[in-house]
Amino acid sequence: MSIILECNNLTKKFGNKAALSSLHLQLERGRIVGLLGPNGSGKTTLIKLANQLLTPTAGDILITGKKPGVETKKIVSYLPERTYLNDWMRVQQIIEFFSDFYVDFNKEKAYEMLRSLNINPDDRLKTMSKGTKEKVQLILVMSREAQLYLLDEPIGGVDPAARDYILKTILSNYNENATVLISTHLISDIENILDYVVFINQGQIVLTSSVDDIRKEKGKSVDALFREVFKC
Amino acid sequence: MLSKLLKYEIKATRRIFGPIYLALLIFAIVNRFTLNFSPEQWQMSAVLSMVVYISIMVGMFVMTLIVMIQRFYKNLLSAEGYLMLTLPIKSWKHIVSKLLVSMLWIIASSLVAMLSILIIALQKGDIAALIRESGPFFQQVYAYVGSWIYLWSIEAVIGFLLCIASGILIVYASIAVGHLFNNHRIFASFGAFVLLNTLSQILIVIVFVPLGNTCFPNFSFNPVDLMAMHCVIQGAIAYLMVITGLLAAAYFALTNYILTKRLNLE
Repeated sequence: MSIILECNNLTKKFGNKAALSSLHLQLERGRIVGLLGPNGSGKTTLIKLANQLLTPTAGDILITGKKPGVETKKIVSYLPERTYLNDWMRVQQIIEFFSDFYVDFNKEKAYEMLRSLNINPDDRLKTMSKGTKEKVQLILVMSREAQLYLLDEPIGGVDPAARDYILKTILSNYNENATVLISTHLISDIENILDYVVFINQGQIVLTSSVDDIRKEKGKSVDALFREVFKC
Repeated sequence: MLSKLLKYEIKATRRIFGPIYLALLIFAIVNRFTLNFSPEQWQMSAVLSMVVYISIMVGMFVMTLIVMIQRFYKNLLSAEGYLMLTLPIKSWKHIVSKLLVSMLWIIASSLVAMLSILIIALQKGDIAALIRESGPFFQQVYAYVGSWIYLWSIEAVIGFLLCIASGILIVYASIAVGHLFNNHRIFASFGAFVLLNTLSQILIVIVFVPLGNTCFPNFSFNPVDLMAMHCVIQGAIAYLMVITGLLAAAYFALTNYILTKRLNLE
């Protein structure tokens, strides 16, 4: 068993409000993990901490045993929930940018995905719709041969057809060494590709389990269990 | 990695400055012609092209300032920060790349402004005269101050660069402090700028000035006998540079601390 992401007593406060409180979590390599929780449960905070966009108030978060920094950023591929693309580059220029800064970036793979989703590499990012920008971002992130993919709401803004393609892409990227963490509340759409789920609420882990166990032992789908656990 | 950051920073900014420089130089050429036409007939067009030229010149320096602020804020502390700050690069390199490229454009804008003035004002034979006169001019200066001229020139350049760098870094530090607030970030950045300036002034008055007075007692300026005072002047220049450098380093450290430990992206 090899741990890729580990949180020990991880706490993050904003003022007096705790977004995460004493969170413990271990994720193994070679899995597709769903980070599931209602709005404001701490999903994004956890992912931002793993990317050094936030600093923990207490405790620590480790990726392959190291604190977030230059070394972990080399092996983590991160898709934030918002579009971060600038408005002056063309698609092919942003691909150059990624292959300049990330050693594990696979250009051929990126161009192949662009073709599949009918995106012209000469188009300017400025002229694209929000959904198309999200697709471009996902292509950039999934074209890296990273060890940990942190995808924050990856399918929220794209149409169902593209959604299927994206999930297929994530699935095909799956390998023994890499773990994909997908945060979302659109559970029914991604349920079929998940191996493992982490339920999070009010900054604490409520439940961690493999999807097979949920189905076998509780006889429920993840979606049904989620609705039960987080019933309002 | 720093060189790659510099490459993209220049790419992102040159598309703004390229057209402005071109427009300024073109209108300088236009002015050269309209000013030389007979005054009666062409006065209106001469005034008009001069107004346009001056507007572009002012616009160029305003843009230099805006781009300096906007590249730092937009690229690192707004949505684009999610991309830039998750690259496998130390955050100080981001600051250095932004700083160097901002300095580059300030210097380039100044040079283009001078060039445009030369285009308008230069008359036939001016260059020959300039070359003819510059020889004796430097000989005279050399006779007056001796070989110290080289040291002084180097000091002037370093001092100039230090001042620009310090000026840019205090702006970066203010923006970084401003971004810590969840609302009214622009207002907070202005406040931070005023505060940082005030703190720097207080520091200079209560620490550096008294310290300077102890280091250089009985300092008085005597232009007639510049050479006799050379050592004291050198000491004072070095002292001023150290103060500017220390303040710049403090602004840099503050910015870097916020970027690594106190990030608060929207």
